[in-house]
Amino acid sequence: MKLRARLALTLSLATVSLLVLLGWAQSRWHSQLRGEALAEAAVHRMESGERERCEADPARWPGPQSVQRSERRPGPPPRRLPPYRIFAYGADFQSLNPENPPFPPELASRLEAGDDIAASRSPNRRRTEVAVRMPWVEGPCSVVLMRAKGPPKWFSGAVLMPALLVAVVMILVALFAAGPIVGRVRDLTESVRTLGSDSNERIHVRGNDEIAELGAAFEQSRLTIRAQLESLRDRETALRNYIANTTHDVMLPLSVLQGHLVSLQQRIEAGETLDVAAVVPSIEEAQYLGSLLHNLNAMARLESIEGLAHRDSVDLNRLVERVVERHRPIAIRKHIALASAVPETSIHFRGDLTLLEQALGNIIQNALRYNESNGHVAVVLRGSDDAWDLTVVDDGPGIPEGERKRALEPAFRGNQARTRHPHGMGLGLHIASDVARRHGLGLTLRDTDGGGLTVELRHTGQEARRP
Amino acid sequence: MTNRILLVEDDLALGQQVVETLSRAGFDPHWVQDGDAAGQLDPDAYRVIVLDLMLPGTYGMDLLKRFRVKSEVPVLILSARDDTADKIRGLELGADDYVTKPFFPEELIARIKACLRRPNLVSTKLITVGPIRVDLERREVSHGHGVLSLTPVEFEIISLLARRKGSAVTRDALVDAALDPAHEGSRRTLDVHISRLRSKLGEHATRLETVWGIGYRLSEDA
Repeated sequence: MKLRARLALTLSLATVSLLVLLGWAQSRWHSQLRGEALAEAAVHRMESGERERCEADPARWPGPQSVQRSERRPGPPPRRLPPYRIFAYGADFQSLNPENPPFPPELASRLEAGDDIAASRSPNRRRTEVAVRMPWVEGPCSVVLMRAKGPPKWFSGAVLMPALLVAVVMILVALFAAGPIVGRVRDLTESVRTLGSDSNERIHVRGNDEIAELGAAFEQSRLTIRAQLESLRDRETALRNYIANTTHDVMLPLSVLQGHLVSLQQRIEAGETLDVAAVVPSIEEAQYLGSLLHNLNAMARLESIEGLAHRDSVDLNRLVERVVERHRPIAIRKHIALASAVPETSIHFRGDLTLLEQALGNIIQNALRYNESNGHVAVVLRGSDDAWDLTVVDDGPGIPEGERKRALEPAFRGNQARTRHPHGMGLGLHIASDVARRHGLGLTLRDTDGGGLTVELRHTGQEARRP
Repeated sequence: MTNRILLVEDDLALGQQVVETLSRAGFDPHWVQDGDAAGQLDPDAYRVIVLDLMLPGTYGMDLLKRFRVKSEVPVLILSARDDTADKIRGLELGADDYVTKPFFPEELIARIKACLRRPNLVSTKLITVGPIRVDLERREVSHGHGVLSLTPVEFEIISLLARRKGSAVTRDALVDAALDPAHEGSRRTLDVHISRLRSKLGEHATRLETVWGIGYRLSEDA
């Protein structure tokens, strides 16, 4: 049901209820006035000569009577009396006229209780009976009973029409007054509908009432939904990039790996005796693939949020041990000495465990990947919880000073070529740099004494940026 | 003590490969492919449990919780998901370490051995590194040919290396422990002391290794 119709119906029901109540009150009031008017008429009539006539011949008074009409009296305009019949009784409520009806016991008891006037309705509510005690107390005509036709109607024509008019006017006023409210609700409905196609459209409802509050609540929900949508879109973009990057980046090392394996097969088929070193490139490529997937995963997560998603207490000694052990197999196969040193007491740092591992892993992997056989890589953690530095030192080819800044940049972004650069100018060092920045760590690249590259992650005790 | 290792891994190829790796490394692997079946086993019957997380039946984390209720046996998690929340939850639930897939077989063996030798620091008063015995209480170092005559600085150096046997110790840490760090040329002085220590160790001098870029290590392997 529409708001207007519901409002009109509600007002109609309220008006009808009110009119019924007023009609009932009016009926009660009329009924009381009627009883009083009949009693007054009876006393007046008896005092105007009828008492003498009644007492002279009580067995026949008032004689054959038709229904009495109201009489003209001097003074203010008379109240209009209904047609009535009158009967006389003694103080004991017995009549000497055998044609008179027996005195109603209910009225008798009320007069005996001290009332001068008592009125009642017949059980079928079709007539009113009024008993009046006369100013005299003796004689066969000291109590009079009057009978008139039923109680007045609840609604006489004079009341009914104005009442109906009032009801109609009220409904019309209500319908008119509901117009602006209905209009605002429609505006709100339209705004909310538009939200589906354009989440940037602001929901605004004028005023300072419940509808305005509803509009404000919708507006708040719109902002929340829009933020969530944007977050979802960002995630979707990150996911798409991840899939696209993964597909592209994995294909290259996978092709190289396939090439290595096919080459091995062909050499074996040709009867060539292979040494262990022939397998190393394949193993290295497989490890690179795994590392690449971890890097792409890390990159997708870094692109989806600002700051850090996790910040837990990380045992850096264990982290160094774990990452070094992960890279030791490839170091052994490449005949590169990989060693690490950590302080006796574990250093703890609040950060994202996976990202810190990935950052250190990338630095170590670069050191191993571009180093030569019989080279060295050393990973050293020094300091305490408050201030520490983690260095990865190698004696490989190093990175010329002019290229170091570029080595930390995401060289592949926006570049469809995405070639694999030497010195880790792809994802690895860029992720390390980004992870360091998000943890409030300094990352520097410098020459190793005697040649090579030294990468240092430094925590100076300054609070990292909160996620 | 038994070398029995419980491997809970549902993938057939990887499980077979890990079993072979563990066997070659001298362990006695018991391979279970289902989480529910693993939950029925007594964890204390094994030296280490290698636990994959994504398992049919009982989930790996739930299995870890169940193991931890009744046992302190080292648990190494194998995880294909490189997810921080998983790692942190695993460690909080009592895992000793984790290895992320893909991994080299040697890495897994190294992590298992690391689980077995923890705690890393040696706290006894008498440390043995091969034939070299370092008595921290009596401040004596001996090998097969008797007690060595060491200066206090040389003893501090070798005792620190012995306490952390098998691990590389930085030059700075050795200087801090045995020399006056403020003294100019402390590092060169350290090298001189090391050289003298090697002479005194004689045939066992090779155990005192130089570690490139770091410092020195007292190796358990000859």
